[in-house]
Amino acid sequence: MSFQGYVRPDGSVGTRNYVLVIPPGFVAKSICDLVVGTKTFHGVDHGAGRTANDRETIARTLIGLGRNPNVASVIVHTASLGSDYPELRAERIAEEIRRSGKRVEILDPSKEGGTYGAIAKGIELARLMVHEASKMRRQSVGDEHLTLGVKCGSSDTTSGIAGNPAVGYLYDKVVAAGGTAMFGETTEIIGAEHLLARRAASPEVAKALLDAVHLQEEKAKATGLDIRTVNPLPSNIKGGISSLEEKSLGAIHKAGSAPVQGVLKYSERPPGKGLYFVDNWMGHLSIFAGYVAAGANLVLFQLGGGGISGRTTLESSPTVVTPFLWCTANYKTHEAARDSIDFYSGTVIDGSETPDEAGERLYRSVLDIASGTLSRSETLNYAEPVEIYLQEPRF
Amino acid sequence: MAAKRALIMHPSDNVATSVDAIQRGDAVAVPCQGTTITLEAIEPISFGFKIALADISAGALIRKYGETIGTASRPIAKGEMVHIHNLDGTRARGDLAKGRTS
Repeated sequence: MSFQGYVRPDGSVGTRNYVLVIPPGFVAKSICDLVVGTKTFHGVDHGAGRTANDRETIARTLIGLGRNPNVASVIVHTASLGSDYPELRAERIAEEIRRSGKRVEILDPSKEGGTYGAIAKGIELARLMVHEASKMRRQSVGDEHLTLGVKCGSSDTTSGIAGNPAVGYLYDKVVAAGGTAMFGETTEIIGAEHLLARRAASPEVAKALLDAVHLQEEKAKATGLDIRTVNPLPSNIKGGISSLEEKSLGAIHKAGSAPVQGVLKYSERPPGKGLYFVDNWMGHLSIFAGYVAAGANLVLFQLGGGGISGRTTLESSPTVVTPFLWCTANYKTHEAARDSIDFYSGTVIDGSETPDEAGERLYRSVLDIASGTLSRSETLNYAEPVEIYLQEPRF
Repeated sequence: MAAKRALIMHPSDNVATSVDAIQRGDAVAVPCQGTTITLEAIEPISFGFKIALADISAGALIRKYGETIGTASRPIAKGEMVHIHNLDGTRARGDLAKGRTS
């Protein structure tokens, strides 16, 4: 099968066609408020007082967002990030994005008469860049150009029975077609890691996966807490999930059945095609931006919702430049938030569809949205801030 | 009246997931490998919650998806609801790790 996408100079294919303005801050926001077709994001950490590893994670995320195939061209301004740490300098960020063959412009307030001068110059530049980007046309390309990321959240027992298996069908189909698919949430594979390790493409990959889980479990134990006071979340427990193991065993269904090709860091680009595990954290402000920085051109949130009430409209999690789909198998969630749900697989529970039939329908929806149909949350002009996943102490 | 439904994820499981509003005394039908297991619910079990398919002794493993999801923290009768009040997770338990080392 195929979808209609924007072919980039490095051969990757976008499902969208934006001009990205980074890093986040006043200059980027001001430009994006005025110029259509641009994207930026709000962030909560600019790197000050962060260790080398964490600064590199911030840099990798910014570079990855710039390289994402949904981005036509990039403006990197020097006004708000980095505290002059070498990893975070605009020149470095710009240079690494340029390797993808994209146009990257640096905007320096000290050369433009200050902040307002930089904003004026940025608006002028961005208008030219979105106009140039608009001349690109979608072309028919194969599924091997899909790069997916997924999180399951507000999980309940519908997630493991029907919601995640539909995503698993999609993942198997895209991986079989030569595409790339990422899943993660290290805490939420505790109790199911042996099943994933058996599917590792090599003993080294199995070891990396088990090591990641072991480290996370040791961190959890070091708190001295019963993990059930933290995760499963109260909303998970209200939805019928009784232990972390039960949550994990349901959660891994979203990864389908393909071999696991590797274990990636947050926002690290997969070195090849196939299914990858990302050693990340489930927080929705964090996980999706990491997938997008790793190259995801479409992401899915598989929602349970058994413990949620009153939420009738669902905004997206922050994905910066990538379409985001809400999926659920919980009929109550679907009934409450019909206008927000892109895909419903509660049909598997009521017996009106087989898991494969539901999965096939999800696959068609994904191709449709990849080709330009808006996901439900893309119709809202709202984005929460991105929390880049930083793990080391700050000083 | 038609039996209420619960779903089993693997033939070796000793719990099934309710997909109906099950009341005390309801007959519950669990489709499994071409046949149907039938049992009586001895208490209400809401949509999405688990029902024990057999008597489970204290400390015994509780299985779903063909895997262990925890142990029984007290004896569980066939037809009873299985949740945090009678199932203990065993992984990432900092409280237990603390008990062992202090």
